[in-house]
Formats: sequence, structure tokens, C-alpha cells
Amino acid sequence: MTPPIVQIRELSKLYRHGDIDVTALDRITLDILAGEFLALMGPSGSGKSTLLHIIAGIDRPTSGECLVQGTDVANLSETALAEWRNRNVGFVFQTFNLVPVLTAYENVELPLLLTSLSSRERRGHVEAALELVGLSDRMKHLPRQMSGGQEQRVAIARALVTDPTLIVADEPTGNLDAHSAADVMILLQRLNREMGKTVIMVTHDPRAAAYAQRTVHLEKGEMLNDSGQSSVVSHQ
Amino acid sequence: MTITGFVLRNACRNKRRLILTVLSVSISLFLLTILLTALKLMVEPPTTEQASLRIVARHRVSLANVLPEKYQYRIERMPGVEYCSKFTWFGGIYIDEASSNFAQFACDPERIFRIFPEAIVDPRQEEEFVKEKTACIVGRKVAERFGWKVGDRITLLGQLWPCDLELVVRGFYHSEGLDETLVFFHHDYFDELLGKRGIVGTFWIKVTNADVIPGLIDRIDAAFRNTDAETKTETERAFQLGFISMIGNVKLFIGSICTVIVFTMLLVTASTMSMAIRERLREISVLKALGFTGVMIFGLILAESCGLALTGGVLGCFGAKVLAETLDVYKLSKGFLPMFPVTAEILTAGMLVALGLGVISSLAPAYTSLRTSVVTGLKELD
Repeated sequence: MTPPIVQIRELSKLYRHGDIDVTALDRITLDILAGEFLALMGPSGSGKSTLLHIIAGIDRPTSGECLVQGTDVANLSETALAEWRNRNVGFVFQTFNLVPVLTAYENVELPLLLTSLSSRERRGHVEAALELVGLSDRMKHLPRQMSGGQEQRVAIARALVTDPTLIVADEPTGNLDAHSAADVMILLQRLNREMGKTVIMVTHDPRAAAYAQRTVHLEKGEMLNDSGQSSVVSHQ
Repeated sequence: MTITGFVLRNACRNKRRLILTVLSVSISLFLLTILLTALKLMVEPPTTEQASLRIVARHRVSLANVLPEKYQYRIERMPGVEYCSKFTWFGGIYIDEASSNFAQFACDPERIFRIFPEAIVDPRQEEEFVKEKTACIVGRKVAERFGWKVGDRITLLGQLWPCDLELVVRGFYHSEGLDETLVFFHHDYFDELLGKRGIVGTFWIKVTNADVIPGLIDRIDAAFRNTDAETKTETERAFQLGFISMIGNVKLFIGSICTVIVFTMLLVTASTMSMAIRERLREISVLKALGFTGVMIFGLILAESCGLALTGGVLGCFGAKVLAETLDVYKLSKGFLPMFPVTAEILTAGMLVALGLGVISSLAPAYTSLRTSVVTGLKELD
């Protein structure tokens, strides 16, 4: 059986608003298999983005454990966590978050600047990533010269250029029209099926969630149901 | 792309703001360089190698008091004295007050250019000067300013002294280090106009070597102790600095202006950097998510801030140097500034101020960006 790439045990997250503690996640337990395409669904405030952020190592839990590839990301220092993210996680955001003054090529190259790759090696990786998302002819375009769908594809290229095992996508189709959204979802599905990337996606959109192999629903910080992989996934 | 290229792209993303900020820093640093040069000229006037072999004897009470001419005879015979010349500031008016900001000195014509060997005079002109009682030798710059030629007659109206001078220009001197705006004329002629009173402002003395100076100063002052006109003898440098101190605390005044300029620059640059980083908080959060560490983010902000300040610094400081070397500062300042050397020391000080400005301006925005968590930063965009 494929081992879980993400192991979450009794994970809770509390936010403090003044004197009041708000529970964002309440004792979540979840395993995600390597090579899975998982959709996290739920209404606003359900805690799905918080869960995604903790898995991706950009937020820390209040209690519980989150092991990603065997590493307890909550125990890493800020610097070690940043390096870990660079090596292991690719991010895709709802609003693309490309650097507006950099071309598509340079945006994709950005995470590689933190590696020891030479300029020539970086070029190879960037061109391959842009070719994969079908934007080889847009390398020198600035974000403002591209459509939303193209921008999101550049963001996906940026997410996979370091060859991470995990791709996290927070509402990747939230700012796209139906046609572009379908293109982006097909692309994420290809990354999962053809390249074996584990994709964890937060979405409101059932059409987007339909591309995932498995859907987990959250509400008020608790897991409501899990669509599949019962042999390796449990929830409380 | 390199990290340097990334910093440059970020710095240039708002070109209007970039230009305005660099301009404000460069203009401020231009002013700072000019003020620092002026300050240096006032508190540390330029000197020459020969100046270390000269001492000045004046009245112990003040420069306004005079010494008897006869002191020269005794000073000249002291061991270690090579030459001694009477040296009296005339302070006369030429045409009008605005045109009179050049110094005129009554001196011993046959000795003065032995005491100031760095003032280069044509030997024939010097000979003419020595022979003719009303002759004068003038500095190159002052001659150029007024278009004086050999044989021209100039009249200097006495302000401090009850006499007017009718001088004939007999030659010019030029010099690398010495002020080129001075006028030298015969002390005998001056004394004659005063009615042979036998008084002298100061004695300018050239010594045989620097080692004799401390002992000689003591000997001169001791020789005239308990007389009606006791002397105060000091090195030429000390004399110049003492003279400058009479114009008040200029150092404090100019220093205050410099501080205000630096503080204003700091506010402008810090404000620009804060705005620039505030606008990019979400992008910085994305960079952090991609793996940029806190130290790297701080480095990027620091590099951008320092780059901006140093660009302004180069334009301002070196702009001041180029202008000072290109323009005729003496003419522009109507004779107030005979020279205006923007030294390497001042350029270094200006660039250090620019660097400090860049570093300090980056601290607050760097702190804000580092304190903001990735999640908080990302929420700003959603």
C-alpha cells in the first residue's frame, strides 16, 4: 500500500481575537497518501484553508501533530521551515500572486534562485515547467500581458519547477472563468496522474472538486465526511 | 535572473517614486557635500607643506593691537629664524564693499616670497616689485577677477587705517596650495602713509626647520614679556584657526544645518521604503511561502534601500565634486571662496551618510515584513 505522505493526528488550531479564542480546527485526524489528489471543501470559516496552511508549513497548529513526509513541520525553526517549503511544497494561490515586475520566465525561476542550480540548469527547469503548462511562447510576457488563466498556469509552473512532492492549491479556480478553470484543473490532474504529484486543493466549487480523487468536507473546524480511501484515511 | 536583478526590478517598479526619491536624496547630499566642504574650509583652511615652517608673532592681547616695528630686529637674530617679515592686514575697500573680499597685506617685499616659497612669481616681476615703493604683487585669481594687468593702478581705501593706498600692479603670483587672492605691497609705503609710526600688525617668520619651532616660540614671547606690547607667537596653522574662531561658532551653525538635512533625508527615504514595502507585503508573504527566509527578505529590503540611497549619494556627492571642479567657484562666490576642494574625505563622509540612510530606512519596513506571518500577508490579498 502507498504510504501516507501527510499524517495529521488530533490537530487543533485556535486563533485569539482579543479575549476570545476562536477554534479554526478541532482535533482533526487525517492521512493523505502519496500521489493522491485531495479536495478540501467546506463553507467559509470551516478551517479548510487553515488546514492547508498547516500542511504546507506556513502556519503552525496549536496542538496535535502534522507529519509531512515524516517531518513534523511544526517543530522546525522559521529558517528550516522556509527551506523545507522550498524543497517540498509548491503553492498555487487563488489570486495567482505572480510578481508583477517579473516576466513569466522570471516568476517561474524565482524559487530556483534559492537552490544551488546554475543559470543554465535553472533555464532547463524553467523551460520544461513552462512547456508543461503550455506557455513556452509566453516566457517574456509580464503578468499584466497575460489572461487570468495564463497567469494561473504560470503560477502552477512556478509551483512545480522545484519538483516538490506536494502541491497545495488554495481556491485555484476562484478567480477564473469556467473555461480557464477547467484548463487549470486538467493541468493539476495531469500533474497528479502523470507526474505523481500529491495535490491538496481547497475549493468551494464542486466542479473543481470533481477532478480530485477524494474529497474531505470540513465545517466549523471539524471533519464532516471523507469521500474515499477508507483503508488509509480515518477521521474523528 | 539574479538576486541583484530581482532587487533592481523591485526598486524600479514605481519609476516616478524612484526618480523623486533619488533626486531628493541626491539634492540633499549635494547640499551636505557643499556644506561639509565649506565647513572644512572654515575650520581647517587649506595649508601647504611650507606652512609647517612658518610661525606668526602678534600682540598678546588681540589682533587689533599692534606691535613695535623694532621687534623685527631682535626676532631676526634669534637662532632658528631664516626670514622674518612685517605683515600687516590693510583691509581696504576696492571700488565697493562687495568687491573687496580679498586680503591686502603690507610686507617686506624682499623677504615675503622667501617666506612663502609656494607663491610662484616671475623673478623679473619680483625685482620690479622690490624696487618700486608703491608696487604690489597680486594673486592670479584676484587679477583675473578684476582684469588687472602689469602697470595698472589700483586704489585701496583705508577702513581700518587712516590712509588710502595708490598701488601699481608689478606682477602676479600663482600657487598650488596658497590662497591666490592676496595682494602684497611695501610695508615702508604703508608706514610712510601712516606718518612713520613704526607699527606692525604681525611678524611672519620662516624657521630653518620644524624642530626649532617650540623653543623659538618660547624665546620670542619671553623676549618681549613685561613690555608694553607682549607677543603671542604660534604656528601659522594655530594662527589661522584662531582667526577663524573670531567669526563665531560657525561649526555649530553649519553642523546644525547638516543635521537637519540628514534627518530630512532619513524621513524621506524611510517613508519611501515603508510605502514600497507596505504595498508589497503580499508579495513578500508569497516569497516567504516559496522558501525565502527572514534573513533573505531583510537582505532584499536592505539592498533596495541602500541601492536607492547610494545612487542618490553618488549623484549628489560626486555631482558636487564635478561642479566644484568645473565651475569657477571663486568668481561665482564673488571672491568669497578662493578655492573649493571637495576632498576624498568629504566624499567618503557623504557616501557613508547615504549608506547609513539606506540601512536605517530599511529597518522599520524590514521589521514589519518579518513580523507579518505568511498567512496574514496572504490574507491581505484575499
